[in-house]
Amino acid sequence: MKTYTLSKFRIILFISCLTLIISCDGFVDVDLPSAQLTGPAVFQDKATANAALVDIYAKMRDNGFFSGNLSGVTLSLGLYADELDYYGPASDPAINYFQNGLLASDSNALQVWNNTYNQIYAANAVLEGLYDSPISEADKNQFQGEALFIRSLLHFYLANTFGDVPLITTTNYQTNRTATRTAVNEIYERIISDLKQALQLVQQQYTTNDRVRPNRSVISALLAKIYLFNRQWSEASKESSTVISQSQYSLNVPLRDVFLMNSPSTIWQLYPKAPGNNTDFAITFIFQTGPPPFVALKKALVDNFENGDNRLTLWVGTVNNGTSKWFYPSKYDYNTATSSSREFPIIFRLQEQFLIRAEARARLGELDSGKEDLNIVRSAAGLTASQAANQQQLIEAIIKERRVELFTEFGNRFYDLKRNEMLDPILSGTKAGWNNHDSLWPIPDNELRANINLQPQNLGY
Amino acid sequence: MNYFSFYKDGKAVYCLIFTGFLLFFPPSFAKTSVRNSKPLIQQHQIQGTVTDGNSPLPGVAIAVKGNSKTAVISDYNGEYNISASSQDTLIVSYLGFKTVLISIKNRSKIDITLEYDTTTLQEVKVNAGYYSVKESERTGSIARITSKEIESQPVTNVLATMQGRMAGVSIVQDSGTPGSGFTIRIRGQNSLRGNANEPLYIIDGVPFSSESVGYSNTSTATAGETSPLNSIVPSDIESIEVLKDADATSIYGSRGANGVVLITTKRGKQGKTTFTINSNTGVGKATRFLDLMDTQQYIAMRRQAFTNDGITNYPANAYDINGTWSQNRSTDWQKELLGGTSEILFLQGSVSGGSEKTQYLLSGNYRSETTVMPGDFKYIKGGAHFTMNHISQDDKFRLNFSSSYTIQNNNLPSIDLTIQARTLAPNAPSLYKENGVLNWENNSWTNPLAALNQTFVSKSANSVSNVLLSYRILPDLELKGSFGFTNLKNDEKRAVPSTIYNPSLAITSAASRLYTNNTARQSYIVEPQLNYKKNFGLHFIDALIGGTAQSTTTTRLYQLGANFSSNSLLNDLASAAQRLVYTSDEILYRYQAFFGRLNYNYDGTYILNLTARRDGSSRFGPGKQFATFGAVGAAWIFSREAFLRNNSILSFGKLRGSYGITGSDQIGDYQFYNTYSSSGNNYQGTVGLQPTRLFNPNFGWETNRKIEFALESGFFNDRVFLTAAWYQNRSGNQLVGVPLPGTTGFSTLNSNLDATVENSGTEFTLRTVNFTEKIKWTTTFNISNNKTKLVSFPGLKTSVYANTYEINRPLTIQKLYSFTGLNPQTGIYTFKDINNDGTLSIDDRKFIADLTPKYSGGIQNTFIYKGFVLDFLFQFVKQDGIKYLPGPAGGMANQLAEVSSQSWSTAENNTNYQAFTAGYNSALSTAYYQYASSNGAITDASYIRLKNIALNFDLPLPQSSKVKCRLIAQGQNVLTFTNFNGDPEFRFSGYLPPLKIYSVGAQLTF
Repeated sequence: MKTYTLSKFRIILFISCLTLIISCDGFVDVDLPSAQLTGPAVFQDKATANAALVDIYAKMRDNGFFSGNLSGVTLSLGLYADELDYYGPASDPAINYFQNGLLASDSNALQVWNNTYNQIYAANAVLEGLYDSPISEADKNQFQGEALFIRSLLHFYLANTFGDVPLITTTNYQTNRTATRTAVNEIYERIISDLKQALQLVQQQYTTNDRVRPNRSVISALLAKIYLFNRQWSEASKESSTVISQSQYSLNVPLRDVFLMNSPSTIWQLYPKAPGNNTDFAITFIFQTGPPPFVALKKALVDNFENGDNRLTLWVGTVNNGTSKWFYPSKYDYNTATSSSREFPIIFRLQEQFLIRAEARARLGELDSGKEDLNIVRSAAGLTASQAANQQQLIEAIIKERRVELFTEFGNRFYDLKRNEMLDPILSGTKAGWNNHDSLWPIPDNELRANINLQPQNLGY
Repeated sequence: MNYFSFYKDGKAVYCLIFTGFLLFFPPSFAKTSVRNSKPLIQQHQIQGTVTDGNSPLPGVAIAVKGNSKTAVISDYNGEYNISASSQDTLIVSYLGFKTVLISIKNRSKIDITLEYDTTTLQEVKVNAGYYSVKESERTGSIARITSKEIESQPVTNVLATMQGRMAGVSIVQDSGTPGSGFTIRIRGQNSLRGNANEPLYIIDGVPFSSESVGYSNTSTATAGETSPLNSIVPSDIESIEVLKDADATSIYGSRGANGVVLITTKRGKQGKTTFTINSNTGVGKATRFLDLMDTQQYIAMRRQAFTNDGITNYPANAYDINGTWSQNRSTDWQKELLGGTSEILFLQGSVSGGSEKTQYLLSGNYRSETTVMPGDFKYIKGGAHFTMNHISQDDKFRLNFSSSYTIQNNNLPSIDLTIQARTLAPNAPSLYKENGVLNWENNSWTNPLAALNQTFVSKSANSVSNVLLSYRILPDLELKGSFGFTNLKNDEKRAVPSTIYNPSLAITSAASRLYTNNTARQSYIVEPQLNYKKNFGLHFIDALIGGTAQSTTTTRLYQLGANFSSNSLLNDLASAAQRLVYTSDEILYRYQAFFGRLNYNYDGTYILNLTARRDGSSRFGPGKQFATFGAVGAAWIFSREAFLRNNSILSFGKLRGSYGITGSDQIGDYQFYNTYSSSGNNYQGTVGLQPTRLFNPNFGWETNRKIEFALESGFFNDRVFLTAAWYQNRSGNQLVGVPLPGTTGFSTLNSNLDATVENSGTEFTLRTVNFTEKIKWTTTFNISNNKTKLVSFPGLKTSVYANTYEINRPLTIQKLYSFTGLNPQTGIYTFKDINNDGTLSIDDRKFIADLTPKYSGGIQNTFIYKGFVLDFLFQFVKQDGIKYLPGPAGGMANQLAEVSSQSWSTAENNTNYQAFTAGYNSALSTAYYQYASSNGAITDASYIRLKNIALNFDLPLPQSSKVKCRLIAQGQNVLTFTNFNGDPEFRFSGYLPPLKIYSVGAQLTF
């Protein structure tokens, strides 16, 4: 009997404990994991807001238009236009760019699209996060200006590659999931006005060393390029002048040192993955023995260099196996890590600004000053003055100069041919797979499926 | 009512530990009970041998009627020895045989022969999770296989043992590389998200998470990431039960929506200490290869392709025909790269025994398997398993303990060479130069073996332990406490040395990289239960209430090391000049529930089963964490009704049905928080922060409503047993990572979608005992079909799914172009422009194809003759598949041999394949890819496969020796009959299909 009552006591105790388990409703409340911060908390503090901003630069460096792999337009548009020949395997997606056989199902194009819009999202998140942030006015303005710059830069490349694309200025996914395609000229309008606003917000001097963060001149450099592409010649001329007039930028650097990380002609470059790393471009392009394992410069491009052009000796590498010769871009020479980084990928440099101003002036009819700018770039390369006699010849000379100065740099060649309506005449001769509609990439299939407002697809796909 | 409100972990755990302590006190009252004295009658020893007519039967229970305490068990020779008086009657019973009553009548030696009794299969106790129920009385749908079926298969993953054997359960292997995962679907796909259809796995009462512990950057060769199920050892398993319908799964509440897989490991048995040693060696090879072109056909195709494209000067990179490579070389790349033979070795030893009150089992196992790809690779798995059961003298206290520990040490290829093997030109250069070095043929190709210089090494250790304590407080009331613990540690490394690159690129070890993944998952679960069973005359009540608290912590660390001074230091992360942490996080998952079951059984004829559960999960935001689930199941065993009780034909008949609601929370943790996390990107000394996801705090449970009706019937003493079931499951409030367009910045958002998915189907199983005399032959046949349907989706046409799903169609449909044949003039594929807008676009994809199987099943036959046992299982599936389409014919990739003779040309224009192109004809290229997205690419992929065949032979050793020896020969995936080009079981194209395996071995018991 004694055993019974004791057991009963235990039962009651047990059952009450059971009730306790059930009432522990707090048991399923979990704390935020240690590795994550809430959105608003990030923008309370300058250091974390800065981290949110620089992450975008890191992403741009590794994935998307400015990277050194196939998602970057240096490689993809280099193959797509007439800069690079392809020697790699048929199974590599790069071959579709070389053969101008891009399909809407292309996985690389989808990756470029998704990565870019993810970077735009992050920029919009910074803008929205800074709205109510308690950090200092000066810091806030700088970060906002940089975020506007990033957003404009990315939309610029999207519009030039895919045509009419959605203009995304908010993080609200409800609006963004049904976004429609905005016409290219409206995109230009918007990014120009955003960049003008950014000019007011960003400081003139660099906030850190090594020119890896945008300052006012970087924004002007982009604005000048956009004005040029948008055929606003006098604005382009004015804007590039503000960059050229800055004393910290100069062409007073030996040609072979133009692409080193401390070159004075650099306006904006990207910091590498880790200290000691150099550029991905060097890894992609440099090879030691022929035939080339992946890509090589087209012979036609090499033949475009005039006699005496130092760029041919310094910026183009040669591989000779006795019977054949191949060439590769050697603007960036370091394809392995070094004890401290020697080369950073350069996005904007002074030489391009001179060429922008030259072309703008030529188009406006200011032939003498246009030729002057052209000759500055030519003499830096060891060439004599240009022989162009009239506007037509001068413009042709400038386009040719851009080809040999800016080759394999972020798709400049393709975009130049496109904005001057020279794609069909130049490429249909040399590229067997070239069609009219190839001036635009297809909007990725997955995107059209996910958002019917993106219809219709670009012509020809 | 919450009169206590504990907020965080500690307190809840303490109260549960306290509960555990309570259970230690009652056992102190489990004393030996006082024996009552009985009048003495003269006893003497009775002995004899028990046989089944041919061979002795060990383990048979012999007892004196009326005095169960005297029960003995026959030993390995079938001999027994019992103390009884002349007037006693002996009861002899053994599962699978008819129980016999024998009067002693003054004999002292009684030999007994037992007869097979198929009806006792209905007496088997089926594990239903929190309770077990007699097979004949269960109201739910539970499929079961036992160690007999599991041991006859030479496979390493537990899911492979279930293929083709259970109605309604579809299991497909991801790839043939050892360690690859399986995809399991129990009665179809319920959730719109493909990876949220996992069933709940429970091992000996402990939930075992099947979420991946791999990392995409390390486990690159397998089609999915490393699955924890690889840590379970099939040879330790006693039975696997799969719970399918609401009645069986509702007691698991929120996690039972996709079914529950219960794994019970082997236990010790009463008897003399027995040693068993098992040893098996086997070989594996790819099941089938494609029939590809040879060099001559290939070169002819390439020449024709360039001619068609109008190119006479072969381009510099067309090495195969421009003279760079010899056109006389010929290599069968499938044989070269995938044609190896894998070697398998399996060893197991166990010792078990025990008395009537305490039994134990200790076993150790080891398995090693190499691959069919060239190279020195090995998959090694080994471990130990220990169980102990104890019942106190007065039968009131019970202790069950089981623990398994498995370690794996794998060195596997880091890439799958299947695509290379199928597409390399037959005249591609040789893999090695004369001096044994990799041949890069002057930079004209990427040597496929170079990538195998990457090493993928993974080490993991997994332990699963469970303690079950129970105490019978009152004769009808039992208090149980179950405590389980699992600990899984997985460390993977993928080293990418600079030697994978062409040496002419002069890439040094500075470009070598090491990716590491250290993932650990620990989980504990506490489940106190109270069980009440009582007979009131013909009424029998079985009631159960219990609670669950589970906590799982997963820690992950993914790192990258780069820039090594030498490749020999490549495996040491500390030697990397640069180190990057990709992910470092700790994920906590908490789960809490309160459940109950009420079972009412009247005279074994009318049965009603009610279950309910209230669950809370930490995966949902505040206010959305709790929900209630429940089910009702009923059964009517009409063969026990008076008018059918002694029917000579119908020996068993049961009608059962169930209806209930279960749920699913497979959404990942912390998804409702709006956060930034470290991206691991370094920019000028700052580590970047990135937005983690799009934010939605409002999502909650997915619910699944199930209904089932079934008829189970046995004829001629259960010699023919037929089960037919119909079910319908509706899954609503779908938890989806709604796919979003990239313009939103992310590709998915977690949200509940007001869509309903219905799975309905029928299952039949037939079991017949054909012969029982000299040769015993039994057949088991199962066939099931499942139709998945999207029943409703408000706003489908304007959602992101507008072009993916259609109402009243399955979820896995593909919308394709309508292929209208090959244009005889141009040799280009043509398609229907359905909306007549002049171009072929998404709107012309109106043809709906579904690749889920129409029906599938298996038929198993077992023959027993003297000492031989032959088992074989044929698995059959009727389904459509997609043709093998590697790219337009004429490009630098090998094609199916039939393409060479059936391709269009100006001469011959009545053919199946379009004209060759080397890639320069965009009309042909575009048409090819459109063909791949059209119904022209759909072909029959049905197959019949001899999934498993096993032959066992018991050596006829003399009865006096205490040793038993059995010889074993087994085969898996031995024969395949199909019209499909390639292996029809493949899930992901481009990965090695499952292997066929032959093995022989022996089992020694002494």
